[in-house]
Amino acid sequence: MDTPGIISTKHKNRVALRIRSIEPHSSELTGEQLGIIADIAEKYGSGTVHVTPRQTIEIPDIEQSLITEVTGILGSVGLYPGSSDRFLRNIIACSRWCLYNVAPLSDFTQKLNKIYKDKVLPGKTIISLSGCDFSCVRSKTSDIGVIARAEIEITDKKCKQCSLCIKEPLGCQVDAITITDEGVLIDTERCIRCGFCTNVCRPDSIRVKSRSFDLFIGGSGGIKPKEAQFYKNVSSEDEVVQEINKLLDKYLSVAESGERIRDVTERLGL
Amino acid sequence: MEDNETGFNLETPKVGIIRGVLAKDIEIVGEKVVNLRICARPYRNTYSVAQLRTIKDVIEKYGSGKVHMSPRHNLEVPEVKQKELDNALKDLYIAGLFPGGAGTSVRNIFTCPDWCSKSLRPVQEIGMMVSTNFGDKDMHNKVTISFAGCYNSCSRPHNSDIGIIAIGRVEELPGKKCPEDCLDCIKSCSFEAIEKVDGDIRINEKCIYCCKCVEACGHNKLKVTETGFKVLIGGREGSKVVFGTTYADFVNEFEVLEIVDRALSNYESKARLKPGDRKKKERLGDVANRLGLESFMT
Repeated sequence: MDTPGIISTKHKNRVALRIRSIEPHSSELTGEQLGIIADIAEKYGSGTVHVTPRQTIEIPDIEQSLITEVTGILGSVGLYPGSSDRFLRNIIACSRWCLYNVAPLSDFTQKLNKIYKDKVLPGKTIISLSGCDFSCVRSKTSDIGVIARAEIEITDKKCKQCSLCIKEPLGCQVDAITITDEGVLIDTERCIRCGFCTNVCRPDSIRVKSRSFDLFIGGSGGIKPKEAQFYKNVSSEDEVVQEINKLLDKYLSVAESGERIRDVTERLGL
Repeated sequence: MEDNETGFNLETPKVGIIRGVLAKDIEIVGEKVVNLRICARPYRNTYSVAQLRTIKDVIEKYGSGKVHMSPRHNLEVPEVKQKELDNALKDLYIAGLFPGGAGTSVRNIFTCPDWCSKSLRPVQEIGMMVSTNFGDKDMHNKVTISFAGCYNSCSRPHNSDIGIIAIGRVEELPGKKCPEDCLDCIKSCSFEAIEKVDGDIRINEKCIYCCKCVEACGHNKLKVTETGFKVLIGGREGSKVVFGTTYADFVNEFEVLEIVDRALSNYESKARLKPGDRKKKERLGDVANRLGLESFMT
């Protein structure tokens, strides 16, 4: 509890060190960082590293007394121990190279990780940011989940019936588009607002009107999994930061020790 | 792509239009750059030092100098040039790294590490067996299989098509007297399955075999007598969240393999097109929910 990132293992006096990348990128590692991690795993650990589901790296079998030495070396390349116990867990985002994301969220996530580095909360809290509705990073079972949305509109530019927007592999993933003689029709019930179809539309008949973020709160995985509830739609990154600030402050003030955000929302209602 | 209206900044790391993920079918549209999702074979949830150094060399030589950590133990090497792809794959192959875990196939098997102090029964070996037999097998749709060594479920078995959790039966050790004022085990239980009657601990039928009480007990009064696996089928995560339903309790490694085999082959034969969809077939969980778990598995 005292030091972040230290995880007890089955071996006595040997611990696993959970590290996360904050500089220069969150959720990504540079070649230099990989090299340093490899060196440390070889010198201090058992020669292997574990990639965790929350985009952190765990180096097992490190002698407890050498931890400060190891964290010193890691700190020089922007890797910090953390994301354990009641420290706010590593905030994760999906890949910035993914086709489907409305907007790459990696840099925004890095900003958030910097703001909330080493924040201690009453219970385990996880925040995940997804670039599209598929939410590979599991926004809908996180304490606070953010999903980016793109509102699309059909413009008056004439559809050339090329059908790229419905065909594999770059067409609509959820079959929400139908092409008629008049132009494209979008089934709003099926549409997940990912904006993917706008990438391929050459005559610009479909266009992204505006981008926004949906916030979901109160989900959790683990022993009693629960789906998060939709909370709010906000239109900019700054507003997301404000909302998260507000939520965490509220959580800090009302939660008893050990309670997660889901317990608080269950007790008090949204 | 910049959006001045909302202040949204897209400093376009999107290189042309790339197929975001890449497995057996290497498909490139637009710019000739691909993302390479790699995993270690034979299956490991860990990467060795030599593998890390290989990845370092590959991303510096062929990629953009960065590697993305995916939430399923994969490491993604973005922006590999198409014409250098074969060389990159060869370099990775030598270190035991293969492309995979994408598309409509059995995704990278997800396990927690055995050295974790909370692990009730090791899952790395069984994960490796499942991966050897079914890893990257072509299916109708994406199939995720996850193993968790304890009920904390770090690897999200509840949200996987097939989720396996290690569980244990708790019994009270005879002889020792439980201290009168100690309620640690009762507080630790999330399911109100423990009662204290005249200083004796009673575990009722609400118990889900998570063994959290054993961890909490500071007086060595409780003991895990038997461990096994719980198999959950039909969960999913993403646009729609569904939690899997229990198919079997206290099964061993061989039975787990048999159940996974049966579930996958039944899925193969019983899946049909998604309602209203032109090309995609249902996911395993949808089939199980449509037919009912019992008839799906027989």
